[in-house]
Amino acid sequence: MKFFIDLANSMRAGIEGMGASATTAEIILTAITTLAVVIFILLHVVVLLLAERRLSAMFQLRLGPNRLGPLGIGQVIADVVKTLGKEDIIPAGADKFVFKLASTTLFATALLAWAVIPFGNGMIIQDLNIGIFYFIAIGSTATISVVMGGWASNNKYALIGGMRGVAQMISYEIPMVFSLLGVVMLTGSMKMSDIVAAQENMWFIIPQFIAFFIYYVAATAEINRAPFDLPEGEQELVAGYFIEYSGIRWALFMMAEYANMVAVSAIAVTMFLGGWNAPFGLTFIPGIVWFLIKLYLMLFTFFWVRWTFPRLRVDHLMHFGWKFMIPVSLANIVVTGIGIYVYRMITG
Amino acid sequence: MFGKGLIKGLKITMGHFFDKKVTEQYPEERPNLPPAFKGSFKLNVAKCIACGLCANGCPNNVIKIESVKDENNKKKLTGYKMMTERCLYCGFCVEACPPKALQWTKDFELAVHLRDDVNLDLFANYTPSPDDEKPAEPKNEEDSAQAS
Amino acid sequence: MLKTEELTLNMGPVHPSTHGVYRCVLTLNGEYIQNAVNHIGYLHRGLEKLAESRTYNQFIPYTDRLDYCSGLANEMAYVLAVEKLMGIENEIPERAQYLRVICAELQRLASHGICVGSFALDIAGSTGFFYSFRDRDRALELINMIGGNRLTPNFMRIGGVAHDLDEYFLNELNQFCDDLPACFDEYEGLLAGNEILQTRSKGVSVVSKEMALDYGFTGPNARASGIDTDLRRDEPYGIYDRFDFKVPVLQNGDTYDRFVIRVMEMRESVKIIQQAIKDMPEGPVMAKVPKVIKPPVGEVYHRIENAKGHLGFHIVSDGSTKPYRTRIYSPTFVMLSAFPEMAKGTHIMDAVLILASIDIVLGEVDR
Repeated sequence: MKFFIDLANSMRAGIEGMGASATTAEIILTAITTLAVVIFILLHVVVLLLAERRLSAMFQLRLGPNRLGPLGIGQVIADVVKTLGKEDIIPAGADKFVFKLASTTLFATALLAWAVIPFGNGMIIQDLNIGIFYFIAIGSTATISVVMGGWASNNKYALIGGMRGVAQMISYEIPMVFSLLGVVMLTGSMKMSDIVAAQENMWFIIPQFIAFFIYYVAATAEINRAPFDLPEGEQELVAGYFIEYSGIRWALFMMAEYANMVAVSAIAVTMFLGGWNAPFGLTFIPGIVWFLIKLYLMLFTFFWVRWTFPRLRVDHLMHFGWKFMIPVSLANIVVTGIGIYVYRMITG
Repeated sequence: MFGKGLIKGLKITMGHFFDKKVTEQYPEERPNLPPAFKGSFKLNVAKCIACGLCANGCPNNVIKIESVKDENNKKKLTGYKMMTERCLYCGFCVEACPPKALQWTKDFELAVHLRDDVNLDLFANYTPSPDDEKPAEPKNEEDSAQAS
Repeated sequence: MLKTEELTLNMGPVHPSTHGVYRCVLTLNGEYIQNAVNHIGYLHRGLEKLAESRTYNQFIPYTDRLDYCSGLANEMAYVLAVEKLMGIENEIPERAQYLRVICAELQRLASHGICVGSFALDIAGSTGFFYSFRDRDRALELINMIGGNRLTPNFMRIGGVAHDLDEYFLNELNQFCDDLPACFDEYEGLLAGNEILQTRSKGVSVVSKEMALDYGFTGPNARASGIDTDLRRDEPYGIYDRFDFKVPVLQNGDTYDRFVIRVMEMRESVKIIQQAIKDMPEGPVMAKVPKVIKPPVGEVYHRIENAKGHLGFHIVSDGSTKPYRTRIYSPTFVMLSAFPEMAKGTHIMDAVLILASIDIVLGEVDR
């Protein structure tokens, strides 16, 4: 962790030494860090695509793709080459402009969310003072891309999938926001670095375990992962809102899904699992390693849940969201508020 | 109780996570084929008496037999074609064969590039071996059928 | 009020969860089904007509292609019908009878394995699908040992079975039967006990006893609706009267019951196989039947309890070597006709599940 910060500082000094102003150096450095994070995401996305297939195979007593290279790593390259080489098909009746825009915007929002995720102490692209708010705001724009893709495809399956996506993502955004609110109340700040720093002694999963549960479920629904993958609805809607996409546009949808999955896992790590803080005082391992370990654990639970549970029905999903998740998350806020008030009364 | 079944399901899948996998890695790992396996066909032309029972028994007229009568008024096989593109792989022909000249092989990779290659010319495919000429004991026949 | 319109959605014949080439045109109100229309016939091969141009023996391999998930049971139905026509049903050797029962029950396990697996897949729990297919594959390997093919074994003959089965096969079968109950517990833990599956399937598309009788439901689907019927017990064919097994009957008639009853039936099938292996005598496996089968003039109808319901063969003989007419009564064709009524008012996600719970096989529906 120290290494990256030292690197950044020396680069900043170097740029300033070449006669640039402090602002220019900052801009150049931000561009470099952004590029680094984008590469990090893209690498994770392609590796996760393979990991999903390998791990699901292990749950299902299969082997998964293991032919190309050791552990099937070559499969990643083969998949990328294949999707890039495919013909870009746009259906005849489709709204061409929106159709093309949808996949791009979805992937763009998936990337934008990473601006506020802290990989380690000081390792964040922009430590906004409304960091978590920014994440939620960016996350909710993904809904538009889903309905754009569903509508523009001129396909009935896609339309149903897109509409389901809107209903689901809007309903589950509310409990997700409320669950994060408990943490914000405890910290008194929406800045990511403050939130992580506040968890130095105790991770927020302990006082906020209900919020964590709600966040986990709502986040699963928000990124359309099974058992909440209704917009995709593989069995009845074939592929849902991206049924008509092929080649690289389809790949953008898939990459956005995985980038979102990594992003919500990273947020869960930051908000509830102590971010870069080391557990049990094991501080000799750098913070970024701890962050990644926690991230992969979260991702593994996403895989585990996906390959165990069947899919919910739309109306049950809505019932669950509005009748259970939102009341519980509201109750959690109230209890947290009372708890903080009582704590302040006692400690004066 | 809500949630109990979900946790049980998670336990079951996790239980299999580290289990031995059941996948058979096919081209390297060959399937263990039973003695009764119906793959492709082979014909022992030396044994064949050109009786035509196989062609008669076939539900789909897969088998085309050509034969001539030699000087002893005994039928002699001159051609044996199998239109395997129509074959049901039911095995009635093998069962019907009185001298057990027609046999199953365990060759199951029957995909070919050209449609014409699907059909078998068992007469042309036959390669004589020294055992063919001597009339085998019926008992040994049983054994060899079992062993193959 | 917003002006709304009904949506006509064409599901199939190319669709991941129509179990083949079944097509159904749904009229949707939102995502709820207002009306469903069946379209079948995409897999019609004219098997009944083919039977008229084949001799009695030659038609046996074709019955494998009817319901391609339960080939051996179809063969058994046809063979029993022809034997009844010839009047030799009492001359079948004991060992052949036992082998037939073993084959039919093994095939029932394989067929129900498909039903459980595809039900799991249609509810998006693909792990359950793989667990069920792992066990089905073992059953298919055993069928491969029986007949030399996994799906179309062609093992039954008029008057017995094609050949005897050796000790090695019976040991493998025994081992398989010992392992199976743990696998059923797994299905029940992963699928039947899962709350998501229960909320999705309990109370969905309830088929009452009256409706089941009206539509002519047979087999597990009828038993899930509370009709206590099983031909193995009620009209025992072959030697089924010698075995001790329960006939599970459930009362609700919903999708969940139609799913669970199949796991219960698999447990009973295992018991039957174990009894059959224990009691099987030594002896010949083929009765003395003429090489050319020429049944007397007349007609016969025989039905057996196939994995999916009553499978019946109606054969009319004119005394020649080929049947004058063969009519096949296939259970899923009959039960599929109830699908529009079963699906009415349900969600589109449930329609897929209802189809899976009927357990259709298009080879049998279209013949």
